[in-house]
Amino acid sequence: MGDKAANFNPDVFKKTAEEKSNARLKMWLEICAHCGLCADTCHFYLANERDPKMMPAYKAKKVLETINKKNKFDEDRLDDFYETIYGECTMCRRCTMFCPFGIDVASIISMARSLSASQGKVPKELLKAVEGHLESGNQMSITEEEWVDTLEWMEEELQEELPGATIPIDKKGADFLYVVNAREPKFYPMDISQAAMVFYLAGADWTMSRKGWDVTNLAMFMGDIAGATKIAKMVRDAAEELEVKRVVVTECGHALRSLQFESPIWLGRDHQFEVVHSVSLFAEYLREGRIKLDKSVFANERCTYQDPCNVSRNGGCAQDGREIVKYLCEDFVEMEPHGEYNYCCGGGGGFIPMAGAFKERRLKSGKVKAEQIKATGATICITPCHNCYDQLRDLSKEYELGIKVLSFKEMFEEALIIPEELKAKEDDEDEE
Amino acid sequence: MATVDHMGKTFEIDEDGFIDSFDSWCPEWVDYVKASEGIQELTEEHWKVIHVLQDYYQKHGIAPMVRILTKVTGYKLKYIYELFPSGPGKGACKMAGLPKPTGCV
Repeated sequence: MGDKAANFNPDVFKKTAEEKSNARLKMWLEICAHCGLCADTCHFYLANERDPKMMPAYKAKKVLETINKKNKFDEDRLDDFYETIYGECTMCRRCTMFCPFGIDVASIISMARSLSASQGKVPKELLKAVEGHLESGNQMSITEEEWVDTLEWMEEELQEELPGATIPIDKKGADFLYVVNAREPKFYPMDISQAAMVFYLAGADWTMSRKGWDVTNLAMFMGDIAGATKIAKMVRDAAEELEVKRVVVTECGHALRSLQFESPIWLGRDHQFEVVHSVSLFAEYLREGRIKLDKSVFANERCTYQDPCNVSRNGGCAQDGREIVKYLCEDFVEMEPHGEYNYCCGGGGGFIPMAGAFKERRLKSGKVKAEQIKATGATICITPCHNCYDQLRDLSKEYELGIKVLSFKEMFEEALIIPEELKAKEDDEDEE
Repeated sequence: MATVDHMGKTFEIDEDGFIDSFDSWCPEWVDYVKASEGIQELTEEHWKVIHVLQDYYQKHGIAPMVRILTKVTGYKLKYIYELFPSGPGKGACKMAGLPKPTGCV
């Protein structure tokens, strides 16, 4: 069981349920014919010995029963509801692809999470990250000074190899603003220098921002839509102040969903910029010949591609990832199924940051993914999403897959062909 | 919470394998964690990183970003990843007895 509801109040719950139950949600909940087609589409169902309680239709029914005014609502019911909506669904939307009525269980669960949040009953690790984000402007409470210092440091490191490369900050009117996940400056800063390397070699006109640079939005997963709106606004404000044409999102899945699809609704209008995921930009650069890769670098490895749900299925970028792979891998094997029909890794929907209490379930539901990967015989699994990345590394240990998990940027760092004239000269180093 | 015994000490650990409380940390803990973190032999450099993490955590209540770690230790970023293969956020924090960092890690 999770933590106690911080402010349990059945009246608030019912009132919020009424506010959030729009016609579409009510229709979905009412037209579900319980046909069972969704059962086999769900990785929780498959990994939990086909427990009927793991069927998406069952979970949707539980939401309906909980918000039904005729049913008694107490803390026990809330506890049970909480376990289902946070612990048994990653909101990956795979079931929707197969539902004859196109019922969007992810939206139902998302609404249900906002009801739980109205009672202060949310995973505590998510709450910590969200509170930190609202206070500091990023989910890891990095100060502006530390952020800028890290960018300058990564620029210096990059210039040791590529003297002309820069990491521009607050460049007004640039073609695009590049936004990241706070884990990058905090623990994985090479993600930033790798991106800067790609942009430099492609001759891009880009910038980063002092503010509104963390594009993650864990409030969305927590069910705190007011908080999610504030967080999304930080990025929107930064992009619109800098008057960029596009915002390019790092290799992160939920950030794309939040910024591109959800936040215009929360914020009440379209953005004044286009939102593009890294995979789409990288595919564009390769297609146009702006960057070139040496395919021989990974010639001795068999690669497969993990489609992040929020990039491939929900973001419409399944083909972009595959286009990149053509330039990068000699031996590439698809998982089955793949593309928009691929299974969730089990780490989505906030499961990775929800941490401890949800870890066992996360590893268990990841069994489906582990089996998919095993069947490919791959030695490298590529994924452009931080949550997939961490989950796959955990799955590799848990199910002894023996794979390397890599982002596109990590592979590019090895495989990018750098024109001689851009490389650091040996003499320059001697003079230092 | 699970309990583990190692070198005559008992530790309570959370689901992510982090020690339950910073106050329960002792050098034996580092010895216990090293194998699962892919570290064969502990060197002075490992200890330096561990001590920097602990000092920072005691002052600020959170783990430092890797920039601060490189500045204080004088080690290059790549070297820190060589020392702690699962990274400064996971492996090094775990060994130093810090709680699992919050957020997408």
